[in-house]
Amino acid sequence: MTRYIIRRLMYVILVVFAVTAVAYTIFFVLPSTDPAVAFAGRNPTPELVQEVREQLNLDEPVPVQYALYVKRLVTGDEYGWPGLGLSYNTRSPVRDEIINRASVTLQIAIGGAILWLLIGIPIGVISALKQRSLADRLAMGFALVGVSAPVFWLGLVMLYVFWEKLGWLPGTGYVPFAESPKEWFLHMLMPWMVLALLFAAIYARIVRGNMIDTMGEDYIRTARAKGLSESRVVTRHGLRAGLSPVITLLGIDLALLVGNTVVTETVFNMPGLGNYVLVSTDSGDLPGVLAVVVLAAFAVAFLSLVSDIIYAYLDPRVRYR
Amino acid sequence: MKRRWLTWSGIGVLAVLMALALAACGDDGDDAADTSGDDGGDDIAAVIEQLGGPVTFGEPAKGGTFRIANTDFAQSDGFDPTGEYFGSAWTIYNSLMLRTLVSYPFTAGSAGNELVADLATELPEPSADGLTWTFTLKDGVKFGPPVNRDVTSKDIAYAFQRIATPSVAAQYANYYQVIKGLPEFSAGEAKTISGIQTPDDKTITFTLTQPTGDFLFRLAMPATAPIPREVGKCYTQAAEYGRYVIASGPYMIDGSDKLDISSCGSQKPISGFNPNTGLYLVRNPNYDPATDDVEIRQSNPDRFEISVNTNLDNIFAQIERGELEGSFETPPNAVLRRYLQDPESRERLRVNSGDRIWFAYMNLTTPPFDDVHVRKAMNLVMDLEGVQRAWGGPVQGSIPTDVLPDTLMPELTADSYAPYQAAPFAGDVDAAKEEMKLSAYDTDKDGLCDAPACKGIVHLNRNFAPWSTQSPIIVQSAAQIGIELETREASRSAVNDASGKPGREIPLSSGNGWGKDYADPSTFMVLFDGRNILADGNTAFSLVGLTPAKAKEVGATIPASGPVPSVDADIDACNPLTGQERTDCWVALNKKITEEIVPWVPLMDATAIDLIGPAVTQYDMDQNGTEMALSRVAVDESLQK
Repeated sequence: MTRYIIRRLMYVILVVFAVTAVAYTIFFVLPSTDPAVAFAGRNPTPELVQEVREQLNLDEPVPVQYALYVKRLVTGDEYGWPGLGLSYNTRSPVRDEIINRASVTLQIAIGGAILWLLIGIPIGVISALKQRSLADRLAMGFALVGVSAPVFWLGLVMLYVFWEKLGWLPGTGYVPFAESPKEWFLHMLMPWMVLALLFAAIYARIVRGNMIDTMGEDYIRTARAKGLSESRVVTRHGLRAGLSPVITLLGIDLALLVGNTVVTETVFNMPGLGNYVLVSTDSGDLPGVLAVVVLAAFAVAFLSLVSDIIYAYLDPRVRYR
Repeated sequence: MKRRWLTWSGIGVLAVLMALALAACGDDGDDAADTSGDDGGDDIAAVIEQLGGPVTFGEPAKGGTFRIANTDFAQSDGFDPTGEYFGSAWTIYNSLMLRTLVSYPFTAGSAGNELVADLATELPEPSADGLTWTFTLKDGVKFGPPVNRDVTSKDIAYAFQRIATPSVAAQYANYYQVIKGLPEFSAGEAKTISGIQTPDDKTITFTLTQPTGDFLFRLAMPATAPIPREVGKCYTQAAEYGRYVIASGPYMIDGSDKLDISSCGSQKPISGFNPNTGLYLVRNPNYDPATDDVEIRQSNPDRFEISVNTNLDNIFAQIERGELEGSFETPPNAVLRRYLQDPESRERLRVNSGDRIWFAYMNLTTPPFDDVHVRKAMNLVMDLEGVQRAWGGPVQGSIPTDVLPDTLMPELTADSYAPYQAAPFAGDVDAAKEEMKLSAYDTDKDGLCDAPACKGIVHLNRNFAPWSTQSPIIVQSAAQIGIELETREASRSAVNDASGKPGREIPLSSGNGWGKDYADPSTFMVLFDGRNILADGNTAFSLVGLTPAKAKEVGATIPASGPVPSVDADIDACNPLTGQERTDCWVALNKKITEEIVPWVPLMDATAIDLIGPAVTQYDMDQNGTEMALSRVAVDESLQK
């Protein structure tokens, strides 16, 4: 098991560096706005552009720039570890920005995940147990709507209905939990619901499929033959097997959300990582964009590792493949 | 039966989707839609005219919080006044936070572009040779907490030292190169700027190397505002000081009083400013209104909150509901249309000159635009009315007939000066063809550009509205004189990047614009100054005045058809002048550029549009910053949500 974990860890490191190299190449080597020119204002003198270029180490060859970036990433820079550099836009350390914003994104992602599991799993289970019933049709209809509706559109509809027309919920923005737990909850509710509707729909379909397969297995029939109650058969034997793929999926989905909340955070004006990557891209703030890319790659690779380890623990066959 | 359930559930899903779609659409329309349609029977131009200038609702009073939101805290240098180059930041500095030797009245129209004394006791006259300017500072002006001391002439001299320090990266330091000794200080060859003398705390003298007629305008820019050395010395890299700006005006960053300036190491960013979330300003307790013109800096609200909201539609929905008082962003066309069509609420929409021109630049080195007749034909054939409609109608701007906004050159408005087309400016194809016949690119003299260079010409533009909506109009207009354009649309930064590299040889781009730095034509003339052409980050897009040496330096090519015309000598002739002589000089040069050089097709003389919330009781527009005049606004807290 230890050897398996080490092997997988090496793989994570490899993936993160491969992503970093590709991202660095895209942003710094392929044609894009010269950050030094962008930073030097709209009517810059060549001397000022050169000064900025030196300040930002852009006068070094690209491989040297990349090597410096990786070195700072691994060993840290003057602003702490990991060394993510200085924002071209705000001239504040990217690291601090990422830490502040990651907590907001995590709150959205975790809250949304809880909500989509609470919605998606029961719907999937009921659909599976009551196949072709009215409940099944309605549940799958809900799934179809959830999967089909674009997130930005759903967000705008929710704002229109719950804030603008009904006035039940506050509009956009983020209130820290420490400032007011009630306001925090009310401001998070719509972003959670938007994410939850999308993912709950997907999870409901997956759970339904898995449960239908599982409930047709021989050991379920055996459990019933032993005289166990139907609820016990479903909860003890059906759900345990039927939900295990959901655990893997949840890990990956949560990781993807780290860099994938651009739309939700933009619509609801949440100062998270998605919002940050949008602002950074728009303003040509390459260190900001790169930092989110690296973090997202790390999150996906790391949570995949965690999922793999859990799987290997649950199913010994996996670790010997 | 099962199949029927399937059908019904499908219909149900469809119904839910349609209901949601209807709810989402509401009464909003297409963002790029024309706002100049039905306006309730009124003439749209007259309506827009009425929406200019200041407005008062009820009884304006002091107090309250004035709340603004923008999609980002637009900044080019981290809000460090030495380098910051965005208009919204300038408005905040000038109206609220910083005082300069001279300033503006913060009002709409030409009056708002007139200079007034601020830190100085009066507007001085230069010495007889035009080289020396002496100012006396007012008594009783103090820095805000935690500095808490008088502003002296040495604090202004220190601001200039920062401008001249390369590592601070002042983005408009070019304006101050005329100060004697400043270039030497920048190069590290001198420890002080010899052209700035401070014989005592209340006197400062500037000595220039050449007469500069617009020098006072340059002293109204925020980079020249006093900076206390005891704080500024800790921040010698670009943008660093932005988190520690010490106020000299009526407002300071919330939390300034908590800044520990006992040493550089003890200083932590002031809590009331985070570039990603917003800026919060409170009254500066050291500000004495007796040292200021309280008609100009009325300073009504107790607090300003300038926050970030990434959802533009939501910003304007919040303004309409009274949850915000305004925004530096332009309202979407759907919002504009709704307000323009409603006589009850339309006064909340304010439309003033933006002092900004959007244009299609033609590259004078690239065929067929190396031929002045082709360039003139483009000006004659362009459907400017169609472009205006594509932008959203007259509310978005007027049709320009020269290369300067009307407020900067009221002598040449469309009513008095229209060298190419007459109203309604829908394109004069016959005149354009006649002009084209004079071109070498019309080989059979039928009024159509027929040389190979007339086909497949790259037309660069931005890939979002309103710019993208004007592309087909430009393409169709050019096609009428045989010019076949291939539109390539890209992001704003990509367009700026490509336009800024002469070596890319972009023949035509309609995704570029220019706004004034101050109300003098010289700030537009940099676009036609051949000495200003750069290999990268170039803004002299048309390459007017490109010399063979400069062409080699920047990777451009002098066309085979002959040298590129220049107006460098004309610019040099106008720059030292003052008063009416200066105005006349710029008018003549503007005409020369518009009629003889013809580097652009001017497309839109853009407006600055503000939507103000129901709690705003007083509004004016700061013509200098072309944003809401924050020094004059007032809010009624009882009407806020």
